[in-house]
Amino acid sequence: MSGRSRLWRVRELPTTKAGVERAFSYFIAGVRLGTLAQMIPAVHGGVTTSPQGTAYLVCWAAAALASVAVSVATLVRRRPLGAYVSAADYSLACLLLVLAPLVLVPGERFGTWIAYQPGYALSVIITASGVRSLTLWAGGMFGIVACYAVYLGGSLDGEMTTTAIGNILTYVVYALVTRMFFGYTRRIAHDADESRARAAELARREEERRAQVMMHNGVAVMRLLTEPGTDAVRSRLLGLAEVEVQRMRSYLRGRSPDRNGEGSDVGLAALITRVCERFADLPVETLLDLGAAVRMPAGRAEAVERALESLLLNVREHARADAVVIHLDADVDAGWTLTVRDDGVGFDAVTAVPGVGLREVVVGELRRWGIGVDVESAAGAGTTVTISAGPAPAAVGAGRDTRTDAG
Amino acid sequence: MRPAVAVVDDASLIRESLGLLMPGLDVVAAVSTVEDLVRLRPVADLVVLDLHLANLEQQPDVRQGIAAIRALTGCGYRVCVYSQEERRFVLAACIAAGACGVVSKALPTARAEQLFLEAAGGGAVVPQPVVGILEVLVRRDCITLLSDRQRQILHGRARGLSYAQVAKQLFVSESTLRGYWLDVTRALTGSLRELTPGEIEHALGLAPGDLLEFWPGDVADDRDWWRTGTSR
Repeated sequence: MSGRSRLWRVRELPTTKAGVERAFSYFIAGVRLGTLAQMIPAVHGGVTTSPQGTAYLVCWAAAALASVAVSVATLVRRRPLGAYVSAADYSLACLLLVLAPLVLVPGERFGTWIAYQPGYALSVIITASGVRSLTLWAGGMFGIVACYAVYLGGSLDGEMTTTAIGNILTYVVYALVTRMFFGYTRRIAHDADESRARAAELARREEERRAQVMMHNGVAVMRLLTEPGTDAVRSRLLGLAEVEVQRMRSYLRGRSPDRNGEGSDVGLAALITRVCERFADLPVETLLDLGAAVRMPAGRAEAVERALESLLLNVREHARADAVVIHLDADVDAGWTLTVRDDGVGFDAVTAVPGVGLREVVVGELRRWGIGVDVESAAGAGTTVTISAGPAPAAVGAGRDTRTDAG
Repeated sequence: MRPAVAVVDDASLIRESLGLLMPGLDVVAAVSTVEDLVRLRPVADLVVLDLHLANLEQQPDVRQGIAAIRALTGCGYRVCVYSQEERRFVLAACIAAGACGVVSKALPTARAEQLFLEAAGGGAVVPQPVVGILEVLVRRDCITLLSDRQRQILHGRARGLSYAQVAKQLFVSESTLRGYWLDVTRALTGSLRELTPGEIEHALGLAPGDLLEFWPGDVADDRDWWRTGTSR
């Protein structure tokens, strides 16, 4: 389908502000040309019966020209008319109503398209309600109502009074309804545009966060690799770097973590042991017996692995700890708690601004997986990070182990 | 007043430097074998014992490891193991054999000195891996003598929490908590000595016989007992 013909397909119009304005232009052209189509069959009769045939024809031609001009202008502009042209449109409708008694015989002012002026005025009220200025809209509407009263003039008798009042009410009601229609549709388009912009911004931030989560540990390892160290330390760091490279490759290939938590189960104790082997230079004690049976889906396990790795990188870089204890516990209700405690320099948890590692890789990412994280630290008193999932872990509890209960 | 400490270590550097590097200790004897110390019988608040004494092939009669601990505790000494040993069941076996503590040679000197002072002062220096084993034994009802409060303290300490953190959680002062912890460790190490390897294996989910290599059990002649290897 050509680009030109696509322009006319309403179903392909975007639901943006611009798309809505374009839809308005179709609506306005449709109403105005439809009105013109209704006027055409009666023009000959009007000229014949009019006391001023030429004047009638001139007025009719002015109305027809205005309808065509407004339709073309809105279609070309792809939006409703501006304030000045709308004012001219209202003025012409008023003028035609005022001149109508001069070119119509009294008996033809109601119920016939020979008297096209009221119908034409209604089409103007409907289509010009898209004008932005409230004053212009209200002024135009009341102007037409006033001119319609002039149009009625002395020909209003008891029989047609109700029809006349009905017509006036039609002007007012249609003006209000179309005004609401234009305004509400514009608001929807505005909100849709804002929502799209917000969604795009959120998507950008999410991608940025994912990149931070994926890259953070790798960057930390690279930084450590640039520092002087023994061959043994560098060898361990290279092993860690290899893991991070694989992670980054997987990110660059667009593989997303499985958010539904599906995938083959991974033993948490084995995973923790594997991570700790990459940090053999740290004084880490792993106490995993109580949680030896804890298993979880691969995606969730990967998040825990990254978080633990980030915590241990923090210990290596900042904590200056003499001892690190990693303790895993499982409770009766299939929940588990992983505690990572170091006796290093700690930090003031109130005033310190957490880095990307703690904020995103540990807290942010784990909470996205529904895993709770609590960080407790004080300057000079070490840091304790408690990671827990499932039912709330007992604070300092004395619960029985599931294994014993099972026999 | 500085506690009197006797050192048993086959490394002359450690024997000669311990007193200099740890000024809080009064080193009254520094020998290379347990037999020498038993022969000298110095008056000491604590014996700092290296777990793996060298020259095993040249001196097959020299006591090593558990046998050494038992010989010294049999003479009435408080024994604190000072070793690079990291295998948790070996460390636990030392406690079960009567050692009042195990201090890693990897620790900073000041920290090690502080732990020796605690041990000399009547405290129990239980290394973290052994605390973990004890917690499992308590949680799995292999050791049942602890009160709820004592179990709470063990819960916190097994996670590596400091005395201050556990004290804060339990609304007691730090000094009170240290006293509680001393009671807990005494009770637990006492219970550990009474457990058989089979009971521990069952509680920890190990296969029968897994601990035989490490655990002393009832050995008629403990001089012969030490099968954990001598590489460390």
